[in-house]
Amino acid sequence: MKKIEFKDEYKASKKPALLKLGTLSYLSIDGQGEPGGEAFSDRIGALYGAAYTIKMTRKFGGLQDYAIGKLEAQWWAETPNFADSPKERWRWKLMIRTPAFVKKAELKKAVDVLLKRGRSAAVKDARLETLREGRCVQMLHVGPYERERDTIAIMKAFAESQGLALSGRHHEIYLSDPRRVTPEKLKTILRHPVA
Amino acid sequence: MRKGGQARGTSSRHTSHVRSTTRRDYQARILRVLTYLQERLDEDVDLPSLARIACFSPFHFHRVFRGMVGESIQEHLRRLRLERAASRLKRGTSPVTRLAFDAGYRTHESFTRAFKALFGLSPAAYRRAKRPPVPRRPTPRPRPLEVEIRRLPPLRVAFTRHVGSYSKVGAAWDRLLPCLGKEGLLGGGSRFIGVCFDDPDVTPPARIRYEACVALDVPFSPAGDIGLRTIPGGEHAVALHVGPYRRLGETYRRLFGEWLPRSGREARDIPSFEVYLNDPNSEAPKDLLTEIHLPLKGRA
Repeated sequence: MKKIEFKDEYKASKKPALLKLGTLSYLSIDGQGEPGGEAFSDRIGALYGAAYTIKMTRKFGGLQDYAIGKLEAQWWAETPNFADSPKERWRWKLMIRTPAFVKKAELKKAVDVLLKRGRSAAVKDARLETLREGRCVQMLHVGPYERERDTIAIMKAFAESQGLALSGRHHEIYLSDPRRVTPEKLKTILRHPVA
Repeated sequence: MRKGGQARGTSSRHTSHVRSTTRRDYQARILRVLTYLQERLDEDVDLPSLARIACFSPFHFHRVFRGMVGESIQEHLRRLRLERAASRLKRGTSPVTRLAFDAGYRTHESFTRAFKALFGLSPAAYRRAKRPPVPRRPTPRPRPLEVEIRRLPPLRVAFTRHVGSYSKVGAAWDRLLPCLGKEGLLGGGSRFIGVCFDDPDVTPPARIRYEACVALDVPFSPAGDIGLRTIPGGEHAVALHVGPYRRLGETYRRLFGEWLPRSGREARDIPSFEVYLNDPNSEAPKDLLTEIHLPLKGRA
């Protein structure tokens, strides 16, 4: 049984490019608040706890194995301009790519185990879901998260040059671990659906 | 790793004096071993008695030797025996087979191969050469290794044991992680640790002992071949290795051979361990981050 991996999804150029995505499945958890805040950290922990527990339970049972994907997130706000909205009002969906063969019952079992272990109750909000973002513009951002605005401006101009406009939710894939990498070297794939 | 500049202040002169003293002390101890070996080229030597001569912990002695001398004890002996053979080739008339035997080789061919690897010429060509070449020396090392001293609390871990080559330790992880993961004991913040009981330069691959460990933050009753134990706390020298696991040996050699003799510190007589900071399933080998933790004795 060959292990399933998502490595090919983590390649992106420092120049904006168009790509078309089909339906992708994720383990996810929604939340609100500033990045790095208490709710954010709590929910990252809950999401990883669920991801590891599901994967390792499968592996223990001899079922098809897979690699746990990188952390991803969608960001949005209730106001039209995300960047001007106060950080504590920011909404996000934290996501980890998970094969479509993982069943809801497996997630439920993992949640029960984690709650019994006394882990964060936030895990109850974890879900298995699919996204179909379709046509997107995508670009690799290197540097601190605070400077994403510049990269997004380039992506927006590129989309417009193709006669397209950004639509839907901003999506990012965290290739670097911010605990290990200096802000200047952080690599993040920025993705935005276009129409 | 980002320290170094701090914690010096008024005691820097004292510290640097202590450091140069220990550096000299380490050199003197290694010199005792080198002299001992030089006088016993035709004898079998064992590691524990060499460690005793040098007053080193037998646990870490070979790594200190390898790091400071630039070659393993076996390589060092082999080179000295070949150099002795070269000198006898030049100065005497003994047949090559006789010299091969004296240098510890069973056949003419294996001697010729080893001799050629060191001098670039066969023994017969070396004997004929007007200006024989000098043996090849180990290459100099790159920039100094960055090491941080950290005081760590004792760590409670669940572990599985692996006996065999380091390249196969994945099997121990494949047993341990599903057993812990299905119990809700793993998450993004889990600490993955490898305890290395043997030096691969000394112990044959089939006998290498390794423990795959995960630090526990909640009570857990192990079953099957999973055990529980505590990794002792205290001061540790921590060096970061960046790159594939198969090249960890290079960073070990530099930690033991370059940093330790200059540090003013002594290694504790317990195994060192590795902390894996990222996931080999999702990172390229060149981006893997591994901390080597060397337990240190308290300051005298």
